[in-house]
Amino acid sequence: MTTAVEERPVGQASVDVAAGPQIALVDLLDRLLGVGVVLAGDIVISLAGVDLVQVRLHALITTIRSDMVTPR
Amino acid sequence: MGERARYLYAITRNPPEGFLDDARGLGGNRLEAVHHRGLAAIVSDVDLDEFGEEALKQNLEHLEWLETVARTHDDVIHRVAAAGPTAPLRLATICIDDDGVRRRLDDWYLALGQVLDRVEGRREWSVKVFAPAGVPESVGVGVRVAGGGADYLRQKKAALDARAAAEEVAGRVGEEVYATLSGRAVASRRLPAQDPRLTGHTGTMLLNCAFLVEVDEELSFEADTDALRRDFPSVEISCAGPWPPYSFAMLEQR
Repeated sequence: MTTAVEERPVGQASVDVAAGPQIALVDLLDRLLGVGVVLAGDIVISLAGVDLVQVRLHALITTIRSDMVTPR
Repeated sequence: MGERARYLYAITRNPPEGFLDDARGLGGNRLEAVHHRGLAAIVSDVDLDEFGEEALKQNLEHLEWLETVARTHDDVIHRVAAAGPTAPLRLATICIDDDGVRRRLDDWYLALGQVLDRVEGRREWSVKVFAPAGVPESVGVGVRVAGGGADYLRQKKAALDARAAAEEVAGRVGEEVYATLSGRAVASRRLPAQDPRLTGHTGTMLLNCAFLVEVDEELSFEADTDALRRDFPSVEISCAGPWPPYSFAMLEQR
């Protein structure tokens, strides 16, 4: 029983992914942001003079919380 | 339309010719491979009006924008991972042009070789263990106690003891699940427990972890998970995958 946890992405949008099982958004962001979306902090971006934009995303949590699912 | 830059999704080795022909990246842009020293970076164009420094700061505040980008990023990585060993990049890794991409590949060359060797023929599985939502906590609550204060305190203490005992047992179950499944995986990682407000699950998350599993071992891994569910019916064990090896191939960027 892979239950509601995997099937209840944060937010309302749901996108069909052709290749492979869809990852819950919270799990995906945990991995893509590499810091865990539950942490609070700041965004560090460097661009000027550097060819890389690097995002360390923590402040994001405020956004997610405003759009949160209601716990069961 | 502003200035363009190159958005990096993933790095792989010797991808088959034309494997991205029917796939699209962010904004519907064409996916391309930038080849360098035997590595291939999978990239597409993005507009700096949307992905430049200031724009990113703004856009990242919008969950819908973030979800679309994360889903597209993930979709591309799934495709790349289906074709060969893959090192996924974090969200919003952007180079000004293909020369910038090649410089990155130079910088990461050794680490990339190790990562791609490690993940080849393996995929990631996510396992979470949840305690049932607040069961022992409610013991004694709302019960009128005939004997008055002392009995009430005794009962309250008993409830707290029961709760502590339940938590201890639950914690041990989490450890046992982790140990058992680690034995089936080539690598294991614990991730921070997720906020119940994000998962929509009210039970305590006892364990949130990722396992890197040989493709040949996946059926056994799932069978192990089923066996653990039977052994520990008091907790909920959720298992998801297979996914690209996000937790085992992420390059640490400086």
